[in-house]
Amino acid sequence: MITAYVRLEARRTLRETGFVISTVAVPVMMYLLFTNLGGSDGTDWKAAAMVGMAGYGALGAALSVGNAISEDRTTGWLRQLRITPMTPRQVVTGRALTGAVVVLPSIVAVLLAGALVNGVRMAAWQWVAVAVTLWLGSLPFTLLGIGNGYRLSAQTTGVVNVACNLGLAVVGGLWFPTVLFPSWLRTISEYTPTNRFAELGVAVTEGTAPGAAALAVVAVWAALFGVYAAVSYRRSARTV
Amino acid sequence: MDNEPAVAFEAATKAYGTVRALDDLHLTVPPGETVALLGRNGAGKSTAIGLLLGLDSPDSGRVRLLGDTPDRAVAAGRVGAMLQEGRPTPRVTVRELVSFVARTYPSPMPVTEALALAGLTELADRRVERLSGGQAQRVRFAVALVGNPELIVLDEPTTALDVEARQEFWDAMRGYARRGNTVLFSTHYLEEADAHADRIVVLDSGRLLADGTGEELKRAAGGSLVAFDLAGGPTEWLGTLPGVASVEIRGDRARLRTDDSDATVRALAARDAIRSLEVAPVSLNDAFLTLVHRTHERLELAK
Repeated sequence: MITAYVRLEARRTLRETGFVISTVAVPVMMYLLFTNLGGSDGTDWKAAAMVGMAGYGALGAALSVGNAISEDRTTGWLRQLRITPMTPRQVVTGRALTGAVVVLPSIVAVLLAGALVNGVRMAAWQWVAVAVTLWLGSLPFTLLGIGNGYRLSAQTTGVVNVACNLGLAVVGGLWFPTVLFPSWLRTISEYTPTNRFAELGVAVTEGTAPGAAALAVVAVWAALFGVYAAVSYRRSARTV
Repeated sequence: MDNEPAVAFEAATKAYGTVRALDDLHLTVPPGETVALLGRNGAGKSTAIGLLLGLDSPDSGRVRLLGDTPDRAVAAGRVGAMLQEGRPTPRVTVRELVSFVARTYPSPMPVTEALALAGLTELADRRVERLSGGQAQRVRFAVALVGNPELIVLDEPTTALDVEARQEFWDAMRGYARRGNTVLFSTHYLEEADAHADRIVVLDSGRLLADGTGEELKRAAGGSLVAFDLAGGPTEWLGTLPGVASVEIRGDRARLRTDDSDATVRALAARDAIRSLEVAPVSLNDAFLTLVHRTHERLELAK
């Protein structure tokens, strides 16, 4: 039942032109521009930027689950689901799993651009490990999106998700490396989930084990967003 | 299990703020019956349906569905429903949507059969959001019945349909009811309730006003309408005539709704007010208005 639901919702998301442009085309384009303008910055930067942009695409795709939820509240689709045998809990679980599916195109597209266009070279296991790390690491952002989607109106969700997306991407250093930041901003950046999320991916490309601090920060954010999603969902799932 | 009523409201009451949307409703529907919930806008029809489907819970009293709580009956896939509000779900085709809903039920009917019943075979591969209002309404009907539920609940199912589509819709619904399923639909069209339901339940201001067949309702409302030309005569005394339930003046013509047309006509004759006198049985429409009117009077008295 959940599989059928995830298939339906993933299909609905991937059919949205805006979604494909902003989570696949834009990250790939930005990646290629940032790494190929202004001379060569070396292959390390190309690999690190690849992780950052794949993470940025995944972040946007994960948050978009929230837009979908608030849209479905408005159109009455969530209400219609409530009178099918699917329980509200299965619906929210299905949504989280949909998030896990729709982040894949962004990750795969940017990694492909890195390998095929920018000539990033890594061992096969590293490619797999980077993809899996980015994939699992995007879960907290799906939870954040779900929290927004259940709590806010359709319009507000759109605005808040864009703010979360850009804010977390820029401050977290997904667009520009944090070494370019002033030190105070770098300190803030180290506490953002996006920065640590990318750090996990970069560690894999360098063939090193991810730092305990990075894992801890990501875990704390995952727990916070999880609680936020659960509270928002409880507050509204019975009243849609 | 088979003796359990399909629907049972037991003293169900629901208020939104100070408004009593549903007031001490008692209603039992045996399996296999087609029942119309008839009332004006705001009469409590949608509230009753919300409680019935477990979308909302009563403040007091209780609601049972197929011998179980609404939540459990819905989770067991024994209920299908077509809700009134809502826009079409974007970016899915008709077939994808109906197939998905079928998969959430334990023993659905074949998707092609549901599409055919709802008259959607030709439209199966169209995107739902690109359909006309009437076509989208049929999609909602297909969604309600594809799970092959024992009870189907339809909240004002024909509002967006034109005359022809309405006829097709009722044919499909009757086909579904003939299989021994229970159907409960709400409407504010009297003719629709009379033509398509075995039984009509009239709601007003959250209360049950009447419950029976169309014929029974007409009888309960006081069978007749007496009309005559006033010829400029006074009108104040008409309400005090024997049997008269309500008085309506249209131009120079008085229309009296009466429980006892013989007595009313005799009283009119005694006053020689019989120009172009006409006595006719009330239409269901008149019966409905009389019932509503009477209840309001009774409520005024109670205050």
